Amino acid sequence: MFATSRLILPTATLSRRRVLSLTALGALGASLTGCGAEEDSLAQQANAGDGKGYIGGDGTVSAYAPDQRGEPVQFTGTFFDATQASAADLRGTPVLLNFWYAGCAPCRVEAPDLKELAQRFAGQVTFYGVNLRDERATAQAFERTFEIPYPSFEDKDGDVLMALSAYVPPQAVPTTLVLDAQGRVAARILGLADRSILETLLADVAAETA
Amino acid sequence: MSATGDAENTPEDTTSRNARSAPSGGSGQGPGDVEVPVLGPVGMARWAWTQLTKMNTALFLLLLLAVAAVPGSIFPQRIQDPARVSDYIDNNPTLGPWLDRLQLFDVFSSAWFSAIYILLFVSLVGCVLPRAGKHWRAWRAEPPRTPRRLERLPEHRSLTLGGCDSAAAPAPDEVVAEAARLLKRRGYRVAVRETGTAAPSVAAERGMWKEVGNVVFHLALLGVLISVAVGSLFGYKGQKILVEDESFVNTLIGYDSFTPGTNYNPDWLPPFSLRLDDFSSEFYRDTTNPRNYGAPIDFTAEVTIEDAPGAAPRQETLKVNAPVNVDGVKSYLVGNGYAPVIRVTDGNGEVAFEGPVVTIPVDGVYTSNLTLKVPDARPDQLGFTGLLLPTAVTGPDGMPRSGDPGLANPRLILSSYYGDLGLDTGKPQNVYVLDVAPLTELNSMMSDNGAITLDAANPVHELPEGKGTIEFLDVKRYVGLDIVYDPGRTGAFISFVAAFAGLLMSMFISRRRVWVRATTDLDDQGRPATVVEYGLLARGEDPRLRTEAESLGELFTTHWKAIGVRDDAGDRTESAPEKTTDRARRGPTTN
Repeated sequence: MFATSRLILPTATLSRRRVLSLTALGALGASLTGCGAEEDSLAQQANAGDGKGYIGGDGTVSAYAPDQRGEPVQFTGTFFDATQASAADLRGTPVLLNFWYAGCAPCRVEAPDLKELAQRFAGQVTFYGVNLRDERATAQAFERTFEIPYPSFEDKDGDVLMALSAYVPPQAVPTTLVLDAQGRVAARILGLADRSILETLLADVAAETA
Repeated sequence: MSATGDAENTPEDTTSRNARSAPSGGSGQGPGDVEVPVLGPVGMARWAWTQLTKMNTALFLLLLLAVAAVPGSIFPQRIQDPARVSDYIDNNPTLGPWLDRLQLFDVFSSAWFSAIYILLFVSLVGCVLPRAGKHWRAWRAEPPRTPRRLERLPEHRSLTLGGCDSAAAPAPDEVVAEAARLLKRRGYRVAVRETGTAAPSVAAERGMWKEVGNVVFHLALLGVLISVAVGSLFGYKGQKILVEDESFVNTLIGYDSFTPGTNYNPDWLPPFSLRLDDFSSEFYRDTTNPRNYGAPIDFTAEVTIEDAPGAAPRQETLKVNAPVNVDGVKSYLVGNGYAPVIRVTDGNGEVAFEGPVVTIPVDGVYTSNLTLKVPDARPDQLGFTGLLLPTAVTGPDGMPRSGDPGLANPRLILSSYYGDLGLDTGKPQNVYVLDVAPLTELNSMMSDNGAITLDAANPVHELPEGKGTIEFLDVKRYVGLDIVYDPGRTGAFISFVAAFAGLLMSMFISRRRVWVRATTDLDDQGRPATVVEYGLLARGEDPRLRTEAESLGELFTTHWKAIGVRDDAGDRTESAPEKTTDRARRGPTTN
């Protein structure tokens, strides 16, 4: 960058203007991030350089009261068994969408919880996975390992993700979205979902419908 | 240009500056001689401001900035390669954390570096703004009044008019008016003075745009800084590795890594998608030049872009240094490599993994490191590490190596392990590193059964102990993308252009003053003649001042040729030595 190449010793022949212009150029090499607030978790992840290959979440929960929710989401996706589903088909019951892929460590940790919750809320909340990166065999191996009872969209092409990012964008792997019966985003969890929090969110959205 | 900036340091300036800074040091007088006045808070602030906007301070800060930038090239920097910083800290467990605390891995965003350049720019503003105001007033004022003794100016000439064909000597007022007209046509702004007296004169000045250029230059540099600041506050930068037929969606979840600007909110990411349809690379294939054979010539990625959810897709071609732009978000092609498609069947006979595996090329012939983790293999999780050789050949030592970056004879050479990969703990892992310590080795280069070798002829390998099989199906290409949003870019560009224009103006425009005075005198034959005396003064160093003086002489001579012009050359020669001393004495004050 500029600054590193500006090792010019000032001498008496340097005029004030020249000095000022050099200093100005020198400072261009610097970014201004230093004057900002403390690093947020995103910047920390970027600086960690750990090569984990995904953006992690800190479990941040955003819940929206019924009168604060946006428009009903619209998307069309293809399940791993090649059947298609659109958001309109999912209306009527609340829906949980979990964005995951098999090699993501936190996804593997929350999988048993999701499985149990899916069974507990069977009939009240419909669960779907949205697989961001895997081919079918890899995804099915994961589902076998954790005995996942619900299907996942194959979303390597980003159709579901792209459509949903217009509403409440998923911002970490994993991300869990809870849609109400009308298909509006009722809650978003970024990162590993805390089981009890997720349970409460699901119970709330199920109670709204009941 | 070195000295032109000193133009404003006229003797008065220097004196006043010295006078202002005198109370600070007080060293001029002994302690007993004078009572040093108490400054008080306002005085202190004023003193600090004067110190900060002084040239010495600017020089010192410049030196400091240069020195402060040195650690940036000694230690690895996070903005360039965070992984290297992590390695450095791991390898230097005592020193590393301390260097980190001192922000030596983030030099250009560190508090101390920021402090230096912010002070520098405050110093710059403190200097440029008053200068701009001063120039504004100078422009509105008339050119300075005519010095009493023009012969003391660095360039001084005198012409005697009249006498030719018994033409009458023109009146001094007329001569001055004519001179003013001539100078004005030459680009000077003029003020005619003392008309009606015996010695009317015209004061002229040109090159007022020089200082304008100078101020524009400095303000534009400030503009560049502000643009860079806007970019780093409200911009972002992220990376994504994309295998052929995969899509990237510009939302946080789509990134492999993401560095937001200090004030950037990831909710602002405009959702667009980018699908990699095809990637091709071109290598140098002229066998007459073996040294360059196989060198990369061109990389081309065909991509499909959807600008927004539901928007019509469009085709684009992505090349190195030719990014695709979606509403100001630019995606750059920064890397590429091979992603062999692998299928792993586990010990239970179920397919546990299938898909492309991104490998990291380590040399010019794309010898690539491969790491594959199969956490869903049962009964045991499987891990593989090894190499992809795009064009496998056998080296002189009998070892396989890659002979070419092209994909002529792809071969995988792998070690295999089983055990707990550690992924189920939820702790993030480096995708490209397999921690083999807790694992049990099945195959390796060192083991008796040797490494797993897979190529087109032998695409399947059965793992020992019934742990499963691995198949080499295909090779895909992948690209590494840098996705960058920098809202300050346009501003920075405009500022750079303005700075350059300002620099050219301040370098090539000369600021000069000319005074012309006309008086009536008797020539050597006792006839009345009009003596036109003129002198030039440059602000700052101006090697072309003499040329300008001569041009003016020619201009006047041509103009008054009809009535006779005599160059008082003798006068000039006589006064020459005096002028030299004059200049020498003037030197120190102007510098």
